[in-house]
Amino acid sequence: MAEMAARPVGERGFGESLLWLVAICVTLAFFFPFYWAISQGLRNPIDTFTVSGLGVPWLSFDPTLDNWITQLSSPESRRALANSTIVSVGASVLALALGTPAAYALARFRFRRVPNIDITIWFLSQRILPPVATVIPFYLVMRAFGLLDTQLALILVNATFVLPFAVVILRQTFLDLPLELEEAVLVDGGTYRTAFMRVALPLAAPSIAATALISFAFSWNEFLFAITLSSRDSLTIPVFIAGSVDTRGVQFWFMAVRALIAMVPPVLIALLAQRYIVRGLTLGAVKG
Amino acid sequence: MATIEFRRIQKQFGDVTVIPDMSLKIDDGEFVSLLGPSGCGKSTTLFMLAGIYLPSGGDLLFDGARVNEVEARDRNVGIVFQSYALYPHMTVFKNIAFPLKFKKVPDAEVSRRVHDAAELVRVAELLERRPEQLSGGQQQRVALARALVKDPTLLLLDEPLSNLDASLRLVMRTEIKALQERLKVTTVLVTHDQVEATTMADRIVCMSDGKIEQIGTPDDLYRRPASRFVAAFVGSPPINLLDGYAADGRLIVNDHPLALEGEPATGEVILGIRPEHLQFMATGGLECRIDQIEPMGRETLYVADSPLGNIRVLESGAGARHAPGENLRIGFHPEHVLLFERGRETLITGARASVRQG
Ligand SMILES: Nc1ncnc2c1ncn2[C@@H]1O[C@H](COP(=O)(O)OP(=O)(O)O)[C@@H](O)[C@H]1O
Ligand SMILES: [Mg+2]
Repeated sequence: MAEMAARPVGERGFGESLLWLVAICVTLAFFFPFYWAISQGLRNPIDTFTVSGLGVPWLSFDPTLDNWITQLSSPESRRALANSTIVSVGASVLALALGTPAAYALARFRFRRVPNIDITIWFLSQRILPPVATVIPFYLVMRAFGLLDTQLALILVNATFVLPFAVVILRQTFLDLPLELEEAVLVDGGTYRTAFMRVALPLAAPSIAATALISFAFSWNEFLFAITLSSRDSLTIPVFIAGSVDTRGVQFWFMAVRALIAMVPPVLIALLAQRYIVRGLTLGAVKG
Repeated sequence: MATIEFRRIQKQFGDVTVIPDMSLKIDDGEFVSLLGPSGCGKSTTLFMLAGIYLPSGGDLLFDGARVNEVEARDRNVGIVFQSYALYPHMTVFKNIAFPLKFKKVPDAEVSRRVHDAAELVRVAELLERRPEQLSGGQQQRVALARALVKDPTLLLLDEPLSNLDASLRLVMRTEIKALQERLKVTTVLVTHDQVEATTMADRIVCMSDGKIEQIGTPDDLYRRPASRFVAAFVGSPPINLLDGYAADGRLIVNDHPLALEGEPATGEVILGIRPEHLQFMATGGLECRIDQIEPMGRETLYVADSPLGNIRVLESGAGARHAPGENLRIGFHPEHVLLFERGRETLITGARASVRQG
């Protein structure tokens, strides 16, 4: 890249300029919703539709933090945040607790009756089924167990949906680890369990962290089951955002603030995990 | 310490037979090398000794007791993998100490034994490093320390020198050999490098395609190779092998008749003669013309065009004494001639061919 930039502008090819143009357009298209949400969140409800153009704070309208103060202090939004956190963390932990050993077994042992690859494809097939097809059965099951409008119901459902994903990714991770390391454990005096716990697991940690992050994001964004299985107590953030509607129509000022609040935790976790993953990849940093 | 015995051991992976039928005895404290080309089943054999692979048939005995189904962890075997397989997330200390974790050794003794083992292979100052911070040679020493720390009854080395550069390989060869002599631990070394096998091992098991071609001392393999394969595999530069036909006390090679003595050989044979056993001489022998010269330091390898075909001749002493195109005569002592049956490729014992015009 440095070399390209050092060349005189005139020498740049037409193709390259076009590429830049496309890149800039795509970036703007991606960032516009964020900008809109920030701008909208700082407006008085009265300015929602009256401000025209780009809606730059101070230039186009007098910004206010009222919407933020209202939302951050409302018990509903706090509960939605708490619910989303508990559901997403719970679902990720559950999916990884079940998925990691399953993936390891598929990578390292041969099952007698059914070939390993068939089991793997069976796991994967769960992701092909459209979730909407299972909404009613899940609703009936949860009602039968008295779990409607509970965090546990959402944890179970989300874990079910991210589990196949975790199994497939982690199976490949374990397949990519050198077999000799685990064989060395067996010769050194350990069991298969030791080989898994002391060597395979720590070495797979970066991949497990990445999988956890994706599971978390999936559960955090999940809407369909959240709106069907919860009515009040277990409402999560996506449902809460969609609920920024009252008899007078959509409350855009609240929706914008809620959307921004909803984005913070996944972004924070991604930033933290990114550093951890990079560190993990340098091996040795992962403590066994 | 242990004696090892393979009794008609077989190993299959699914439909693929890697070891069809192997029988072998290894004495207590012996240093045995499994020598053979890549893919001939050396590592498979070693992994059966370690307990990583289960034999598909036959009996594996340690000190006379069958161990086929004994788990790797209960065999008290130390192994150095080809890749060393050091645990990348542990320090050198933890790597070496790892096998002791399973033996309920008190902490103080763990520390002492790790230091002893590290001392033994001279990595004592590296204990706090991680494997990635070590050179190939250091990693190899650490792997050796990890294999030795539990006082194994059997030490297994899978191509331990193959990832080292040439000069280091020489050093480690001597060190491993000295270590084995000092510890008197029964050792099996896997290698595809004949120099490694001959310099380190008391006995060599030469393998091809999962079958044992010959078991013997390095000297046996060199002087009396049991088959064409062993003759070709052991010795550097490689032996000259020439197809011929034997009848009526004569051996015809490339239309050139040689006289046969000793045990009468007949039919299709292979004549083997090592480059170092051929000499240039002033009179007698066979006429030849030098085609190519390869200086090899203290020795010079000539490729000569002779009535028997192209033939390699090794002459010791630095500096080439002949030039390409030069016409010379070569001869050999009948003692040094090897004859193999073509087809079965086995040695015909007692046959001698001499270079006399028949
Ligand atoms: N786990 C395995 N599954 C299937 N085939 C194997 C396995 N291990 C080794 N083999 C096959 O057995 C043969 C011998 O392998 P190996 O013992 O590693 O040879 P060497 O160590 O002499 O190079 C090879 O053809 C290899 O493909
Ligand atoms: Mg091998």
